[in-house]
Amino acid sequence: MRIDHTHRPWLAGSVLAFLAMTAAYIVYALRTPGGPRGGTAMGLAFGVAGYAVMLFEGLLGVRKKVPIWRLGRAQTWMRGHLWLGILTLPLILFHAGFAFRGPLTAVLMALLVIVLASGVLGAILQHYLPRTITKRVAMETIYEEIPHVRVQLRDEAEQLVTTLAVEAEHDDKVRFRESYERSIRPFLDAPETAASPIFDSLRRTTPAAFHPALDDLENICIEEHQLSRQRRLYHWLHAWLLVHVPLSVALLVLGGIHAVMALRY
Amino acid sequence: MSDLHLTIDGQAVMVPSGTTVFDAARLNGIAIPTLCHQQNETPVGVCRLCVVEAGGRVLSASCVRPAEEGMTVATNSDKVRSVRRTLLELLMADHPSPCARQAQSGDCELETLARLDGLASSRFSKRLSPRGQDDSSPAIAVDHEACILCDRCIRGCGEIRNNFVLGRRGKGFNAGIAFDLNRPMGNSACVSCGECVVSCPTGALTNKFVVQTELGGEPAEVEDLLKLPYFQNVSGTFLELNRNAVVRRDFRAGDIICREGEYGSTAFYILEGKAQVYLSTPIAHVHTDGSNSGFLRRLGSRLLGRKQDRREDERDRRTIPIDASVDLPYDNPVAELGPGDLFGEMTCMSLYPRSATVRAATDCTMYEMLRNVLDIMQRNKNIKGRLDDNYKRRALEDHLKNVPLFASLTPAFIDSLRDRVELVRFGKGDVICRQGDIADSFYLIRIGFVKVSEDHPQGELVLNYLGRGGYFGEIGLLGMGSGGRRTATCSALDHVEVVRIGAEDFHRMVDAFPDVKRSLEAVAAQHLEQNRQRLARAADVPLDAFLAQGLMEAQSLLVLDLGKCTRCDSCVRACADAHDGVTRLIREGLRFENFLIATSCRQCRDPLCMVGCPVGSIRRRQSLEVIIEDWCIGCGLCAKNCPYGNITLHPFEVSVDSQGAAGHRAVVTKQKATSCDLCTEHAEPSCVYACPHDAAHRVDPNEFFRSIISGQSGVSEKTDAH
Repeated sequence: MRIDHTHRPWLAGSVLAFLAMTAAYIVYALRTPGGPRGGTAMGLAFGVAGYAVMLFEGLLGVRKKVPIWRLGRAQTWMRGHLWLGILTLPLILFHAGFAFRGPLTAVLMALLVIVLASGVLGAILQHYLPRTITKRVAMETIYEEIPHVRVQLRDEAEQLVTTLAVEAEHDDKVRFRESYERSIRPFLDAPETAASPIFDSLRRTTPAAFHPALDDLENICIEEHQLSRQRRLYHWLHAWLLVHVPLSVALLVLGGIHAVMALRY
Repeated sequence: MSDLHLTIDGQAVMVPSGTTVFDAARLNGIAIPTLCHQQNETPVGVCRLCVVEAGGRVLSASCVRPAEEGMTVATNSDKVRSVRRTLLELLMADHPSPCARQAQSGDCELETLARLDGLASSRFSKRLSPRGQDDSSPAIAVDHEACILCDRCIRGCGEIRNNFVLGRRGKGFNAGIAFDLNRPMGNSACVSCGECVVSCPTGALTNKFVVQTELGGEPAEVEDLLKLPYFQNVSGTFLELNRNAVVRRDFRAGDIICREGEYGSTAFYILEGKAQVYLSTPIAHVHTDGSNSGFLRRLGSRLLGRKQDRREDERDRRTIPIDASVDLPYDNPVAELGPGDLFGEMTCMSLYPRSATVRAATDCTMYEMLRNVLDIMQRNKNIKGRLDDNYKRRALEDHLKNVPLFASLTPAFIDSLRDRVELVRFGKGDVICRQGDIADSFYLIRIGFVKVSEDHPQGELVLNYLGRGGYFGEIGLLGMGSGGRRTATCSALDHVEVVRIGAEDFHRMVDAFPDVKRSLEAVAAQHLEQNRQRLARAADVPLDAFLAQGLMEAQSLLVLDLGKCTRCDSCVRACADAHDGVTRLIREGLRFENFLIATSCRQCRDPLCMVGCPVGSIRRRQSLEVIIEDWCIGCGLCAKNCPYGNITLHPFEVSVDSQGAAGHRAVVTKQKATSCDLCTEHAEPSCVYACPHDAAHRVDPNEFFRSIISGQSGVSEKTDAH
């Protein structure tokens, strides 16, 4: 989600909430003999609020599973997820009084920090990468279609070279085929770099009659390269979720266990 | 009558007075080459190939030169051969070789004569300006390039068949044959009798073969066909040439003759027996709604008829138009066809899907024919009258009554119209009425599709496409817009048949039925206003590229802001979830700056999806939104025609009569066409509602593109079109 001016109300609300809870915490810390602890009424309140926010954060995934249920616009949920999510860190820190007294709470804190950091990273990536993809992948296609499109492009290139209708010496045709197999086909298999250097070099060494075919092949290679870039950027755009989602689930489960244990024992 | 004595090539011959030299030679076994002369036509002596030396100062055309007493004729002297060879060279210089006839059957008379004369090439240069071809007739191909202006076709058409459609046009080098006043053959008064094809010595007029179409059944015998009134006055030779394009087929009671939605290329003419025509697709539309209430409302799609779910602007149609001489009753879409009925005309002429299923009600015999034979049949004066009478007797009333505006016409008035209306046919591209012409008729479409457009300095602006049941011509007749003149040009998109009601009858109708007049005026005023707005809008937006891409045609666009879209496909999943797993949205489409115009229905202003619907079930509401009527047969043509791929077919399992087992029912999958309905059940389309990144927006394109032009990027909330 792009963080733009439409997020100002959420930013303002979050800052206000942060200031309010900080003020409350300062008062609470100053007035509590022995310092703030999770087991106090105020500490529990911060904990309950923090866990409730975490639950809300987790519900975004559920919300996405039922996209047509009229539970509020998905973008409202996402904005809430972003801004309220950030508030979980101070809430939990205030709940714990900035102290981690056991292995479970230490793990929970570590998980929270990682989840939060991965979320922030995700937000940053989702802020910048869509524009990057749009700008740098003009021939973008649906991600799932990329393998099919690549197969088609490779077939097209092969066809182009096989059915080359150029009036040229047989030896030149053989050399052109060799050049294709030596330089272009490997590129099509792994189109990681730009194609133009390969084709600039081929144009210098190939008779002019082959240049239109080279132009077509270059276009194919450019598209291959763009699709490869799209795949890479797409992975960046979504890979952080591989960390964020499972750790969020773990955080919620362990947080629940922590709450039960703390309240019961 | 006295006899004449003359000498031809040294042979003394005697012929009756009045005989031409050509006939005198022929009667005595002396062949004189000719191209323009046929025994059953009046000689005209235009090709001059039959020239002979008859003692005069110049050579004479033997076909028109009367024999004289004591005449000495040389048909094959050096001088005659030299002149004949020069004539052949001149003709061959203006003739493609091989021409269509030479290529088809190797018997182009000109090329044969040239070959016999040992003429391999011509000394004269070829014509530089092409004369062109005319492919407008389904039965006959016209190649003006191959025409040698022998006039045999003109005489065949006039003298032999008394049709007088063919004539000459132009002068000198620009002379040619012409149909009517130089109209394309298919759009002329030609009755496709084929006499011109049979008469033509070259490949200028040849019969069209419908290639790669093999009809099952036994080829119809020409003798049998000629016995039918519908093929009277058709050349037997021409029918023989089209022998494989018409077959006689026998069906047993219960046999399915054709199925709705299937593609075909033939029409059927019932000789004996009865056939039942019906729709097996449920008369219902796809309705999406929620099974639970409240915020957990979950959408599902099901089929509902208009009684259960009446949609905005849904009309009270009594009948369903099909490709036959009858319409089907809306509530029980079954009808019967009998001997003399023709069905499948639109499928045959314009290759549209079958509009209904036809089953043999009794044992039947039918002729199944391809479009060239149907064209011959339809143009036949006898059958045209009979088909027209059939239509006026059986379908005109339903047809008129189905137009809501005419629902109040009394049976007595319709009876009075029956003999006065005229059924007029138009070929593809034909202009039915032109903008600016005096309005002299009102038209009701019986078959085919009509494009309504306005001419403007910037080009043509398409206002509407009208299908069966549509009408036009009322604005001019009511004197609205441009004082009794046509405000738009209406042209045939394919084979079109219209009911033409003359100005006098139209005025009689509006005078007798003031409510009809009021309704017509109200609708006409609405159309004029819509057209005015469209024109203003087209002039307002200088985005040529977008006009070319059809985006400005849209009423509503799904725009994805690619600067925000994380390609998560939540919009696509939401659309699929909302419609039983059948998405009406694909996250691909045209790109403009940072925006992707996703593939979802654009409620186009130029709705090509409507062209060709065999049952006319897709139309616009007054709001210009597309509505697919309940009698959609799921043939998928609209989905194919939509240039943006925005119509999808939603499969449903329905129970139908099982074939072969009376009384048993079987579950089959039928389809219904659907397009994006903007999730009208909800305040916001599901795709937009489900987008977590604020990237998907339904926008009014006018406002949206105007904001882009004025430099505002992004999509504001207010542009959402809901």
